[in-house]
Amino acid sequence: MKNLPSARLNVCLLAAALLLFPIAFDDPFYLDVGVAVLLAAISASAWNIVGGYAGQVSVGHSMFFGLGAYAPLLFYTLWGWPPLAGIPAGIALSVALAIVVGLPTFRLSGHYFSMATIAVAELIRIFFGTWTLVGGAIGLQGPAVARGWWDLTFRGDMPYYYIFLAVLGLLLFVTYEVERRRFGFYLRAIKASERAARSLGVPVRLTKLKALVLSATFTSAAGSLYAAKTGFIDPDSGFGILVSVQMVIVAALGGAGTLFGPLLGALILVPLQTAANTWFGGGGSGLTFILYGGIIVLIARFEPGGLFDLWRRLSPLIRKRVHAA
Amino acid sequence: MLLVQVIVGGLLLGAIYALFSSGLTLIWGMMNFINFAHGEFVMLGMYAALLVVVHLGGGPLAFGAAAALALFLLGIVVYLALIRHVMRGPMLSQILSTFGLALLLRYSAFFVFSANFVSLPDTALSGTLNIGGVFLPVAQLVAGVVAVTLTIALHLLLTRTAIGSRLLAVAEDRSAAMLMGIRPDRMQALAWGLSAGAAGIAGALLATAYPWSPSVGETFGLIAFVTVALGGFGSVLGSLYAGLIIGLIEAISAFWLGAIYKDIVVYGLFVALLWLRPQGLMGKA
Amino acid sequence: MLLEAQNVAKAFGSFWAVAGADLAVEEGEIIGLIGPNGAGKSTFFNCLAGDMPPTSGRILFGGTDLTRAPPEAHARAGIGRTFQVPATFEDMSVIDNVMVGAFLRHPHRNDARALARRIVEMTGLRADQPARSLGTPGRKRLEIARVLASEPRLLLLDESLAGLTPSELQEAIALVRRIHESGVTIVIVEHIMEVIMTLTRRVLVFNQGRVISSGTPEQVVRDEAVIEAYLGRGAQRHSRGSGNP
Repeated sequence: MKNLPSARLNVCLLAAALLLFPIAFDDPFYLDVGVAVLLAAISASAWNIVGGYAGQVSVGHSMFFGLGAYAPLLFYTLWGWPPLAGIPAGIALSVALAIVVGLPTFRLSGHYFSMATIAVAELIRIFFGTWTLVGGAIGLQGPAVARGWWDLTFRGDMPYYYIFLAVLGLLLFVTYEVERRRFGFYLRAIKASERAARSLGVPVRLTKLKALVLSATFTSAAGSLYAAKTGFIDPDSGFGILVSVQMVIVAALGGAGTLFGPLLGALILVPLQTAANTWFGGGGSGLTFILYGGIIVLIARFEPGGLFDLWRRLSPLIRKRVHAA
Repeated sequence: MLLVQVIVGGLLLGAIYALFSSGLTLIWGMMNFINFAHGEFVMLGMYAALLVVVHLGGGPLAFGAAAALALFLLGIVVYLALIRHVMRGPMLSQILSTFGLALLLRYSAFFVFSANFVSLPDTALSGTLNIGGVFLPVAQLVAGVVAVTLTIALHLLLTRTAIGSRLLAVAEDRSAAMLMGIRPDRMQALAWGLSAGAAGIAGALLATAYPWSPSVGETFGLIAFVTVALGGFGSVLGSLYAGLIIGLIEAISAFWLGAIYKDIVVYGLFVALLWLRPQGLMGKA
Repeated sequence: MLLEAQNVAKAFGSFWAVAGADLAVEEGEIIGLIGPNGAGKSTFFNCLAGDMPPTSGRILFGGTDLTRAPPEAHARAGIGRTFQVPATFEDMSVIDNVMVGAFLRHPHRNDARALARRIVEMTGLRADQPARSLGTPGRKRLEIARVLASEPRLLLLDESLAGLTPSELQEAIALVRRIHESGVTIVIVEHIMEVIMTLTRRVLVFNQGRVISSGTPEQVVRDEAVIEAYLGRGAQRHSRGSGNP
């Protein structure tokens, strides 16, 4: 970050805006959108670690999201345990899965990893749809009435909003620390040129694995938060391809590989999606995904750095115009 | 006897898998590029066949050729407009480009054609043969045989003809090929045309024998991945063997375990391959 | 003996790019590797750097067998290399590029940055410049800076001085000399004879996957086998006929 004082100021302003939002906009509708934005930002920022920084494009990240979503509700449905207890379990499973997927594919070229992520996510989705223990095609539900705060079942969205905000803050902080340290440099080196990175002693395979594990941890947490909020999960909402796609497009639109890119993408895309659903009604989802597909292609073709990169290139020009005026 | 029928049916379908997978493997072998929208090309081939039959009343030859041509052109257009540019860029945009394209094509098809399953109206290939107690729909039989023939033809095209050796030269060493007066850009565009064309014909063949909806693109895409992974990236012959094997495995899994589990078996096989033998039967990793 | 390559061979299918090459480099030497295009120099280089495992033969560094070791292990052992086509980290700044190299021996950011700054200054680059805005000479220099930061004992330079203007070339030669004087052993692949003549004490000549001649630069350029390799069979007769010693 070039201008340190002004960058810090911007971040403080952003944090203040996010903190005060629910108080300023007390309407349940806006709050709901706010929560959705935060959730999308968490998922996308988690994906960003392995997909944006390290350049390992997972298009099946829903595998971690789904595990994180199912674990708390499973704990509740099977044993009556508080969903909160299921969150670490979901993370543990996701980490194990990350290692299983990453270990063989990271020694091959990047495409193998991407294909593997699609296949594994689909595999799990179909499997969960047939497994009665986890509810099969119907899925699982969470507590209807809270027995305590650990059930994570709140009336109204405000508590969820602040919990999600805290998790997002933690994730962005972790990402920021990663960026500054050797790990972050190695991730970017791998993305830029694996061959050169290797020649400089970067342990490529291990670094990729670490990134995937870190990413999986937070993606799983996002899934758990989602399940806590909606109180429901099924194979499609947990492991569906659209869950994976949304993470990717939110991050890529805002700027994959940047700290605030995913948040920016969420701030733009989620309200847009909500608006589209309102306009087009039920049939909207089909059009939404045509739009998603189109946006992804355009980003890939013209602006792989996302809006952040676009802004970085345009702002000196805009500044020049302003000064000249 | 039922088992024999299942086996034969699986092999015939596997032959078509081989055909469209050979298109995918061609691009991979030539350009180190995975087309995530390949399944959608097959799906579009199926709908192209349907449109020709419904609106122009063509027979199998007509709609087969139409599907092949339409997809051939689409492949070239996709290469020129999109692939050529992202090839030079980061991995993220390479993967996103065809992944986004897949979404675009799939959901556009949902929008235009609806999610209902359709099939071709009766054609010259309707009817069932009874060969020693094994019932084979004529369409499936013809489709399978044609698919094998075309796959072998593609292999011969690549290995025995002048244009084929030019394509392979570009795959081998781009700069050397340029020095020999071959234009990599043209060859790559041609490869994309052939790849999509193969998918298109495969789609038309599938349409004669099986019902479908826009969702099949996703399924065929994954099957293509598994087939190419098994057969070896870059090997058309490998795709032939692998396609037949996958078709067989799929049919037997469906027979013994049920339709839903067959997907688990096939995708599970893919994951196992990545773990154990990423270079497949006949390819270079 | 710092680096030893014993009867290294590398085959691609049925084509032997390297067909039995030996190399022995003592600590502190500066060795040149020349030969016509397609002679196998780069492939041999890649084997030395660990980029591809040799089909047969052994590679020993400081006594340790690195034949099948991956590039990361070579780097950690103390072998650094540059690439014929520069592979700089385009999206990162000059200093960030160099820091990636520095992190090998200095895991902490501040130490790595301090070392990187010193090296960036020494090589005359601008720390904050994005790597993608450098021209090819700048990229080559950045690669050298970056690999220097990994504090190698042996540096493999793959045509790092190609495509420079005469004054840039002098600067680059001076830089390589400074690096050598600071104690780094260097093996340099080059086509530019001035570099070979002025910098190296010993030269190996590759042709068709084999070492066909070795000696001081002066000896090697007179060697008939070498002239023949570069210019073809007729050239040797021609040069003899025009009264050369």
